[in-house]
Amino acid sequence: MLTGIDYFVVVAYLLGILILGFYFKRYVGSTEDYFLGGKSLPFWAIAMSIVVSDIGAMDFVGVSGQAYRYGISVGNFDWIGSVPAMLLAAFIFVPYFWRAGLYTIPEYLGRRYNRHVRTLASLTWILFFAVNLGVLFWASAALLNVLMGWPIWTSIFVTAGVVGLYTYFGGITAVVMTDVVQFIIMFVGGLALVFLSFHAVGGWDALVEKIYAKGPEYANHFNLIQPSTTSTPFPWTGILFGLTFVMANAYMIGNQSIVQRCLTAKDEWNAKASMILGAGLKMLIPVLVLFPGLIAIVLHPELEDGDQAFPLMIKSILPPGLIGLMFAAFFAGLMSSVDSCLNSTATLFTKDIYEPFFKKDATDQHYLKVGRMTTIVLLITGVLTAPLSDFFPGIYVAIQTFLSFFQGPVFAILLLGIFWPGATSMGGLFGLVIGIGFATTLNIFQSSIFTIQDPFLYVSWWSFVLAFVICIVVSLFTKKYKLEELDGLVFRKISSSPNTP
Amino acid sequence: MLNFDWLAGVSADTAKYIFYILFLLIAILVLLIPNSYIFLGLPQDQRHWWKNLKLWSILVLMCLAMVYYIF
Repeated sequence: MLTGIDYFVVVAYLLGILILGFYFKRYVGSTEDYFLGGKSLPFWAIAMSIVVSDIGAMDFVGVSGQAYRYGISVGNFDWIGSVPAMLLAAFIFVPYFWRAGLYTIPEYLGRRYNRHVRTLASLTWILFFAVNLGVLFWASAALLNVLMGWPIWTSIFVTAGVVGLYTYFGGITAVVMTDVVQFIIMFVGGLALVFLSFHAVGGWDALVEKIYAKGPEYANHFNLIQPSTTSTPFPWTGILFGLTFVMANAYMIGNQSIVQRCLTAKDEWNAKASMILGAGLKMLIPVLVLFPGLIAIVLHPELEDGDQAFPLMIKSILPPGLIGLMFAAFFAGLMSSVDSCLNSTATLFTKDIYEPFFKKDATDQHYLKVGRMTTIVLLITGVLTAPLSDFFPGIYVAIQTFLSFFQGPVFAILLLGIFWPGATSMGGLFGLVIGIGFATTLNIFQSSIFTIQDPFLYVSWWSFVLAFVICIVVSLFTKKYKLEELDGLVFRKISSSPNTP
Repeated sequence: MLNFDWLAGVSADTAKYIFYILFLLIAILVLLIPNSYIFLGLPQDQRHWWKNLKLWSILVLMCLAMVYYIF
């Protein structure tokens, strides 16, 4: 399917990314450089990196497929499901994390609650990232195989080689700065497809008219707000309570790979600005991933599986050259997800597990070496475990479901931790453990409890509520922290730490 | 209760107003943040009006509200 010019575009892109990423090796001399970019990065680069890390190669296909099936309501995830959470993160959480000189979110939980909470949260994320890496490799490579005809192992080795080299040597600075290029490639490739697709369908008005003409089952395809009685996974109640109040906040505030980028900012203003600009840029994502799915309803109306919409649109709409650019955009999505996994897991392992449990008080160069070795070990593990996904086809969904068990409870204790000085060590631990247990139970019995398809939004909300209540109740009956112990860890108790300008 | 049956009577149009109220509430909270906190990290001579993150936030919220108004 690829022509000569397409190959040229793809190879030029891969080489460019490799050279750019390798260039940043010169800026890495300590763990702070490797994990936090020496706290020197500008807001615009971090904002682009946050956005591009959030969208992987499979999201192009998955979100387009959902738009094909359910319409525009899937856009809620990037609109109300991101903007309020990113503003909350920008003005409340990120400044405190940045000022406290943190490397990881579990590190905050450890300082605020206790080391058990820190270890549990950290191990959860490490497990998620490590397993996700193999799945990411395989699923994306399989997608590229279907789309472009590239052998699966070629895609995996090319991605692992390029990403591994620049992440190993350049650390998070290389990750963020290559993400900037990946962001531009992704937008140019994606917008080209959207523009040409609209041209093919006759413009916006024609698209709306043709979809509505298909019958009453398409009557809600252009409504962002779905009734609470809808059978789709996106009733407004789930969007408001589960997504806006819990999942979005848990993702933007509790996700190591997102927050770690803000911690690389050169000052507190840049840290806040990165999240706000990121919120603005993120609002553009549905344009890239959602509209091709909607347009496919008109151009390819007989699809059995909505996930076929995006690949078909590429094949039927894009000319040679732009197919190569779209292929590069897929690679960009894959590489930005893989580099986030690698660097975040290396940070979590080095700072939350290795340093406190294996070797305290070693030199900074020793921890830098451990961070780099972790990156390599993870990469090799990811490549070796990638084929497992072929034997367990539901593993991707299983991993996402597994993560959803933790979102609500972790956000509950983060929220109470930063806003309520009364939250105690035991309150945090009990809230987290019982909340996770409750989310797991709800998931196991979901078919007999919930009426909507795939009720992860409701599971997140109710597990958040229970963890929140448990944390408060247990905190009321257990030993409180002294106020001076919470300096810099609770809202309105600002520390005069060395990071404060 | 876990299915939010108690909100089944709220129409999608009313729900949209709930979303607008949320956007308005966030905008008000953002505007209440002191400028000294907004600019923290920037030297005094670089605290220009266009670096006021309240303006950035309001702009993003207005875009968001517009999207929900259109759809």
